[in-house]
Amino acid sequence: MSNSILVIGGGFAGITAAVEAAEMGHDVYIVEREDYLGGRVAQLNKYFPKLCPPTCGLEINFKRIRTNPRITFYTRAAVESISGGPGDYSVKVKVEPKYTTPACTNCKPGQAAATTEVPNEFNFGMDTRKGIYLAHPMAFPNQCVIDPKIAGTDEAKAIADAMPAGLVDLSQQPETVELNVGAVIVATGWKPYDPTRMDNLGFGKVDNVVTNMMVERMASPSGPTEGKIVRPSDKEEPKTIGFVQCAGSRDENHLPYCSYICCMATLKQIRYIREQMPEAEVYVFYIDIRSPGRKYEKFYKAVKEDEKVHFIKGKVAEVRPGSEPGSVVLVAEDTVGGGRVEQQVDLAVLATGMQPTGAEVKIAGIDYDEDGFVVPKEGIIPCGCAKRPVDVVSSAQSATAAALKAVQTVVRRAG
Amino acid sequence: MAETKKLQPDIAFVKGVMDAGGDTVNRCYQCATCSVVCPLSTEESPFPRKEMLWAQWGLASKVAGDADVWLCHQCGDCTKYCPRGARPGDVLGAIRSNAIRYYSQPRFLADMLSKPAGVVGAIIAAMVVITVVAGLWAAAVTHHSFPIPEGEIAYHKFISVIPIDIIFLPLVGFVAFVSYKGITRFWDDISRGAGVPTSYTGTTPAPSLGILISKYLVPAVKEIISHERFQKCGQTAERTRGHKWVLWAFIALFIVTTVEMFVVDIVGNILRFSGSDIVLETPLALYNPIKILANIGAFLLIVGIWMLKTMRSQKTEEGVLKSAAQDWTLIWLIFAVGVSGLLAEILRLAHVAVLAYPVYVLHLGCVAVLFLSLPFTKFGHLLYRTTAYVHQRWAEDVRAGKAGFGLEKPMADEVAEH
Repeated sequence: MSNSILVIGGGFAGITAAVEAAEMGHDVYIVEREDYLGGRVAQLNKYFPKLCPPTCGLEINFKRIRTNPRITFYTRAAVESISGGPGDYSVKVKVEPKYTTPACTNCKPGQAAATTEVPNEFNFGMDTRKGIYLAHPMAFPNQCVIDPKIAGTDEAKAIADAMPAGLVDLSQQPETVELNVGAVIVATGWKPYDPTRMDNLGFGKVDNVVTNMMVERMASPSGPTEGKIVRPSDKEEPKTIGFVQCAGSRDENHLPYCSYICCMATLKQIRYIREQMPEAEVYVFYIDIRSPGRKYEKFYKAVKEDEKVHFIKGKVAEVRPGSEPGSVVLVAEDTVGGGRVEQQVDLAVLATGMQPTGAEVKIAGIDYDEDGFVVPKEGIIPCGCAKRPVDVVSSAQSATAAALKAVQTVVRRAG
Repeated sequence: MAETKKLQPDIAFVKGVMDAGGDTVNRCYQCATCSVVCPLSTEESPFPRKEMLWAQWGLASKVAGDADVWLCHQCGDCTKYCPRGARPGDVLGAIRSNAIRYYSQPRFLADMLSKPAGVVGAIIAAMVVITVVAGLWAAAVTHHSFPIPEGEIAYHKFISVIPIDIIFLPLVGFVAFVSYKGITRFWDDISRGAGVPTSYTGTTPAPSLGILISKYLVPAVKEIISHERFQKCGQTAERTRGHKWVLWAFIALFIVTTVEMFVVDIVGNILRFSGSDIVLETPLALYNPIKILANIGAFLLIVGIWMLKTMRSQKTEEGVLKSAAQDWTLIWLIFAVGVSGLLAEILRLAHVAVLAYPVYVLHLGCVAVLFLSLPFTKFGHLLYRTTAYVHQRWAEDVRAGKAGFGLEKPMADEVAEH
């Protein structure tokens, strides 16, 4: 029997659940796949509807983690298997080496010695990074890491030589940690649905078709364009922007469910655009705008009143290059106004949905439904987007609820 | 105050669409993906999104007035991309099959000919009629031995052109009448649906016959013969070849029949009754151009319909389109016409009289039933799609102020001047 709780995933839901459970007096382990905590939220520019940056919310939780001795977290780590039952699980965690020590917070000398540049996954490939890097400026833990792909090369040795002594350790080996816990909270989150799978929406084939998460990175001051929303092809400011809603969501051929956040994300991104480029015209192609609740409805209403924002009821089903260099034509049927609409824009944004991590990465001992969402059972409690597509607020709420469930599980067994 | 319009859903109509293969219609949530991915959809009036809504809501009169369902060749692109599995392609197919039933009178023939058993029954009935007439004719007029005439096989010995005409000409008249009634009702409905202005007496305008043919029918037929539109169909583009061959075969065989009827039935009989020595009779020699055309027609018909059958099986299996009994019935009926015709020719050349004459009767029976089914079954798409193609061109001109209520004439003159 164990009173400890395992949280798989250190995104917003995971760290919230971990902090809540730890503050109720339980030992908590967080296992995070990336090199930093904060998950998808760390990639955002701002939250809706208040439009505050993600540091607000993340920072306070990081502080609660730092100051709470009951929380242990592993980054660049993955749960390999879970066995046992409620109250007594044994969990195998594989922790991959980062080839650096926690004191390694500045890798500039190492980067100067690095020769290979690879697409930066944190910015969805819109820029590149070196073989030694900090995932993003706000990364927690604030520890530079070495790309495992270069670990055994001469380049890694050159980097190690360039770095101050004691910060790089190329001899590190993967470790397997065995944990004994009483309950498991699954907060494995989501990834943006692969836009290349919609063969009619042009991503990867037509220039200047980007995803909503790419726009978040562009709009972020720490992003690849230092906060400027530009066309990837020529780095020019777009004068017209088209949003393609339900790009893969509510579609039996892709994600059969509503991803919940894409409408609000688009409305939020329209606010970025209108602030940065007051002259830009925005076109939103949608099936129906889903902005549930009083606050979101108010947000939608405010955007709708903007005369530079045009809402066209009809899903985009064809995307092709336009007549101007770099422009994109979005084709839809205007089901209210009538007729086929071919709207030429400078930048097209696919409002892609959320696919649960469980659709591709499955952990032995956890049940998943056909879409990859985690099915709850006693002792194994999903929260956040591992459970269903939600916004950050609902994700945090479900994390608190999951923490309570986990505590109940271990307390009941112990009693 | 905004105008209030009360919608009266026609539940029976919705049920009819669902029963005819459009059972997925209620899954549609109107995203309009279908109207965009459709390679045949038009700019001003895209389909099939609006038809899906009308069919869901039971707006029977809206659907009846919609020529666009006939501009669809059911390639299945919309069904492939539909995010809800609502299968718009199949729903439009169901609407079309119900429309044919609606326009064809008497209804019982449509019911009968839409079922495989009904078709087989009709073929047997036709064979009985043909045999009885042939028997009577042999006994009263030609005095050939019956049912297997002696000597060299020649089908006119069994049943000559006069009794054939006695059977087929009334059939042609009946089919033409039913088709005409159906097409004119359809024309009225789609004119209303297209918002074409009506006269003060409430009649819908139509161009005069000459202009209808020269300006609208001819270009439409050209487009149909070349399959220009059908070829744009994405998912089932391969289907067009088989369909084109079948259509060309029908045209070739129509030419053969018309020429033969003129030469043998009319000129031949005139010569005979005027006591001339010149005998114009079938069978034609194999090198006769008309016979060559007939054999090419037979080849195209059999191979074309087989390609259609193969393609439909494959596409049905892949889930691109659904196939109902009526689809297969028509395919097998056309196949039976082609194969029985070819077989009759082969058996005749092989001198197998015992088999040749019965197969010939079977062939005549199949032809009669195929002909009869024209306005009543899926075969009716020949009538209604052609009408829709013609109407589309004409309604465009009417909307542009170039046609309707006698406006075509000055336009026609203008064209002539150029």
